[in-house]
Amino acid sequence: MKKKQIYLFIISIWLSTNMLVSQTELNISDSLVIKDKLLTMNKLSLGVDLFKPIKSSSDGDNLNYEIVGDLQLTENLYLAGEYGIVDRIIEDENINFNSSGSFLRIGFNYNMFENWVGMDNSIYLGLRYATSNFSNKIINYTVRNQDSYFSNLVENDFQTIEYSGLSGNWIEIVAGLKVETFKNVYLGFSLRLNKLLSDSEPDNFDTLFIPGFNKVTDENTFGSGFNYTLTYSIPLRKKKK
Amino acid sequence: MIKGHHILLLSLLIISCEKDDICIEGSENTNRITISFIDNETKSPKGITLINVKSIENDSIIHEEFSGESIKLPLKVNSNKTKFLFDNKDNLDTLTIYHQSIHQYLNRSCGYISNFLINDQTEIIKTTGWIREITVEKDSIFNEEKTNIFIYY
Repeated sequence: MKKKQIYLFIISIWLSTNMLVSQTELNISDSLVIKDKLLTMNKLSLGVDLFKPIKSSSDGDNLNYEIVGDLQLTENLYLAGEYGIVDRIIEDENINFNSSGSFLRIGFNYNMFENWVGMDNSIYLGLRYATSNFSNKIINYTVRNQDSYFSNLVENDFQTIEYSGLSGNWIEIVAGLKVETFKNVYLGFSLRLNKLLSDSEPDNFDTLFIPGFNKVTDENTFGSGFNYTLTYSIPLRKKKK
Repeated sequence: MIKGHHILLLSLLIISCEKDDICIEGSENTNRITISFIDNETKSPKGITLINVKSIENDSIIHEEFSGESIKLPLKVNSNKTKFLFDNKDNLDTLTIYHQSIHQYLNRSCGYISNFLINDQTEIIKTTGWIREITVEKDSIFNEEKTNIFIYY
């Protein structure tokens, strides 16, 4: 399983470098453009997800947050990543538990939006490799029982079930947009389709939720997510005009 | 280009719709304890008629006007002790079953079920004493096929 992940990661890097190379090939005749397209690290963007802290405080969970960042590699290709901390109470069908941990996603975004002069918005597609380490603590659960004469709710004081050192790996396909609202300040939204590669299988329990991946279903290994970001872009060099 | 985005966004939305997880009927379930009644003279199974069977902690009755050779009763999944009160023509005897509740995870939709192991301390408290003795025949409860406890009377 580990090998598969490594392959996928390499493929994702290879694909994006391919994009980079093909771009330079295309523009080889235009020497002015080459300078501009190949490794123009013009800006570094850093930001936060606006949705997660609001949701966690309204749900009474501990603070959840996600920081995002990207670095421009060529005109349209960005190295991108997200890091987040999650500490959430998950109310599942039969089991209520706490999931806490962190996640890291690394990959690329490719901008497909042609801006007018002076504008800097983007509609992009991206790919990420993501990993999460987390622990679960079961708060309570309802035992499946044909007989309901006694209460079938099992609380923490009868039996404490805790799992630590759990992990999960997945890849994400990202579709998003970013709009410059003020000078160098961007609002962004992205949707993510996740494909789980591997996850821990704790004894006598299952991985039902992975921070950064969200709900893990029984039938398939797909998940989804989104973020709503506010980012600030730091110009790394002055544009020559 | 825009069309491509639309298709991707749409597929993301479709895939993010979740199917409801429903525990399939006939999945494994928590089993009850099986108690059989034996004639103390002949040592052979003998039907009994009880006014009712209930738990001490619970006001409601499990079985009213029970008659038969064996009875199935639920054990507490969140305790290691379950007490039953057998009312035989207003003669009340208490059966205290000490057990381990071992919870087994099935899946997301069914959650956990409980299996039980009956401990040796399992005892009767005679109030009026229609029960002569009890024996633990089979200490593990993973199904309801066999008798777990015999009550001699």
